[in-house]
Amino acid sequence: MRRLLLVLWVAVLSGCGGSALERGPVTLVFKYARILGPADPVPELLREFEAAHPNVRVRGEALPWTSDEQHQFYVINLEGRSPGFDVMMLDVIWVPEFARAGWLLDLTPGLHPGELAPYFPSTVEAATDHGRVWALPWNMNVGLLYYRADLLGKYGLAPPETFDELARQVVRIRAGERDPALDGYLWQAKQYEGLVVNVLEAFWANGTRLLADDGTLFPEPGRAAEALGFLRGLIASGVSPAWTPAADEELSRRAFGDGRAVFLRNWPYAMDLFQARDSPVRGRVGIAPLPGFAGGPRGAGSTGGAHLGVSRRSRHPELAVDLARFLTSERAQKAIALGAALSPTREVLYHDPGLVRSRPELPALHALMRAGRSRPVTPYYLLLSSTVQPEFSAVLVGLKAPARAIGDARLRLSHFLDALR
Amino acid sequence: MTGRTRAARRQALLLLAPTLVALTALTVYPGCWVVWLSLQHRVPIFGVARFAGLDNFAFLAVDPRFWSAARTTAAFTALSVALELLLGVAVALALARQERGRRLGLSLLLLAWAMPSVVTAKLYEWLYHPTAGLINVLLGAHAINWLGDPRLALPAVILADVWRSMPFVALLCYARLRTIPAELYEAAQVDGAGRLATLGRVTLPLLGRIVLLALLFRTLDALRAFDIMFVLTGGGPAGTTETLTVYAYRSLFQMLQLGFGSAISVVVFALVMGAAWAYLRLLRPRAVVA
Repeated sequence: MRRLLLVLWVAVLSGCGGSALERGPVTLVFKYARILGPADPVPELLREFEAAHPNVRVRGEALPWTSDEQHQFYVINLEGRSPGFDVMMLDVIWVPEFARAGWLLDLTPGLHPGELAPYFPSTVEAATDHGRVWALPWNMNVGLLYYRADLLGKYGLAPPETFDELARQVVRIRAGERDPALDGYLWQAKQYEGLVVNVLEAFWANGTRLLADDGTLFPEPGRAAEALGFLRGLIASGVSPAWTPAADEELSRRAFGDGRAVFLRNWPYAMDLFQARDSPVRGRVGIAPLPGFAGGPRGAGSTGGAHLGVSRRSRHPELAVDLARFLTSERAQKAIALGAALSPTREVLYHDPGLVRSRPELPALHALMRAGRSRPVTPYYLLLSSTVQPEFSAVLVGLKAPARAIGDARLRLSHFLDALR
Repeated sequence: MTGRTRAARRQALLLLAPTLVALTALTVYPGCWVVWLSLQHRVPIFGVARFAGLDNFAFLAVDPRFWSAARTTAAFTALSVALELLLGVAVALALARQERGRRLGLSLLLLAWAMPSVVTAKLYEWLYHPTAGLINVLLGAHAINWLGDPRLALPAVILADVWRSMPFVALLCYARLRTIPAELYEAAQVDGAGRLATLGRVTLPLLGRIVLLALLFRTLDALRAFDIMFVLTGGGPAGTTETLTVYAYRSLFQMLQLGFGSAISVVVFALVMGAAWAYLRLLRPRAVVA
C-alpha cells in the first residue's frame, strides 16, 4: 500500500517537471551507483565528456545502494513514463527484462561492425535479447576461489581442482592447525541473489543448468538435485561452517579476511581488501578457478557486473548513446579500474602494463573471466530467482529434500509463467 | 433542525473537507485500486493485463509459501507484541519507582525507539554475526548460529524487534503512571494493601486502557512488519522469516506480479482491519475509567 502511494507520488511529481529547455545547453542525466571511497573516477570522466561536447552538460545522479532498491527505483520510474534520465547503469540480470518491457533503446542499428568484439563474449551474451543488443558492458565480475596460499604451501598442497580435493584439503589443514576457529570453505547461502549464483555454479560443475535454451526449467532434475545435495553435504559435514546459510558476500569475505578460513568463494573485489595494508591475510591469498566435480567439466564462475543502457524515452538518444560508448571505452574503463576495485569488460585491459602495475591480479583474472558463465538470460530472471531462493535455502538448511524443492519450484514457476503467455 | 445547527454542521463539513479529500486521494483511492488489481493477472511491463476473477486468491489458498508467510506473520505478531507489552509495562513500573538515573533510562529508551528500523536491523546483523558478533563472543565463539538456523532465525528477528519497539510501550505506560494521583496510593496504604495488592488492584487496572492502546498500535505494526526481517535475513533461511508483507514486496517489485502481489496486500489489509476493529471494540468506553 505504502509502495503504491509512492508510485502515485512519483507520478505526480514527475508530471510537474519537464519544461522546455531546448535552446540552452543539453543536459544528460546518468544514473549510477556511486563508487565508495575517495576516488570515484566517474565525475572526472563526465567532465571529460563535457569538454569533448561543448554544448552538453552531464549530471551524474546516485542510485540507491542495494540492487533490490535500484531495481525498484527503475521499475517505478520507467513504468511511470517520465524517467528523467538518459543513461542508466543496469545490473546485468535486468537487461533482458528492461528490453522486453520496452524501456531500453535498441543499440543494434548504431553499432559499428566488430564494435563488440573486444568485450568478453559472456557480457555481450547477457546484453543480447532476441538477437538485438540493448546495453554496453561496463564492468564485470566472476565467481572465483580464494585460498590461503600460506596454509596450502605449509602442507605442500596445490589449489584444488575438484570439490573432493577441496574437502580433503580442508580436513587435512584443520587437523594440522588444530585451530577450532579456523573454518574450511566459505560461500554464500543466505536467502538472496547470491545463493542462486552459488547454486548455479554447482549446477554447471555437475553438467546441468537451471533453464534450458528451450525454456525448460531444471532440464535434468536428477543432476540438479545431486548438486544441491552436494552443497548441503558441505555444510552437514562441516567442510563449510554451520552459519553458511546466513552468509552473504561481505560476511564471508570478512571471516576469510580475518584469517578464519582456508577457502572462500567470492568476487574479484575482495582481493583489494585482502591486500590492504592492515589486512591480516595480506600477501597470503591466492586465486584459482572454482573447483568442479570429479570427471565433470571444469568449474566455472558465474559472471555478474553492470551494463549501461539508454532510456528509450531519452530526448537526446544519440548523445546518450555517445555517453554510454564513452564510459565503456577502453580509456574510461582503464580509469575506472585504476580508481576503483571494478574489473573491465574489455579483454585487452587485463594485459595493459599500466593497469597491471597497480592491479597485479588482472592477468590471472582474465582466464577466469573468459571461462565465466552468465546466469540465465531471460526477461523473467528475477521471477525465476526469487522463486527458487527459498527452495534452495530450504535444502541447504536441511528442511527439504533436493528433489522435492526442485518439484515445488517448478510448480510455482509454471503457474506464474503460464499467466504470462 | 434550527438554522444555527445547520450552519454549524455546514461549517464542520467545510473544516473536515480537506482531511476527507486527502484521505480519499491518498488512502481510499489507492486502496480500491489494489483490490481491483488483485482481481487481475497483471504484469504491466510485459503487457499482461486481463481480468482473473478470484484466481489469485485461489492460488494463494493452495500456495505453501503464502501459508508459511501467514504463519510467520502470526507467530511474529503474537510473540513480539506479547514480549513488548510485558517488558514495556515492567520497565515503565521500574522507571516510575526510580529516582536516580531515570532521565538516563528515558533517553536510552528513546534512542532505541528513535532508531530507524533499517539501522536496528544492521546493528543486529553485527550483534548476531556468527564469528565476530558480540552476542556469540559473550557466549563463547561459534556458540549459536542465529540467522542461519531455521529454528533460531525468527526468534532472533523477534528479539531485535522487541528491543526496538518495547520502549514505545514503556514510554506510553510511564506517561500514564505519572498521572495516577498519589492519593490513590495513600488510600490503598490506609486500607492496608501491600505492594502486590496495590499493583494488582490500583496500578494495573489504571494502566489497562493505555496498555490496550499500545496493544492496538503494536499489533497493527507487527502485522505489517517488513524492514527488520528484510534487512536482517531477507526472509530466510528457507523462508522461515518471510512475513506476508515481505512476500508481497517480492511479488510486486521483484517478480513484478502486480495482480498476485496485490492479492497478498489485500489479505494483509483485511488482517489489519480485522485486528483494528476487534481492538476498537475492546477500547470502546464502557464504565467510566479514571
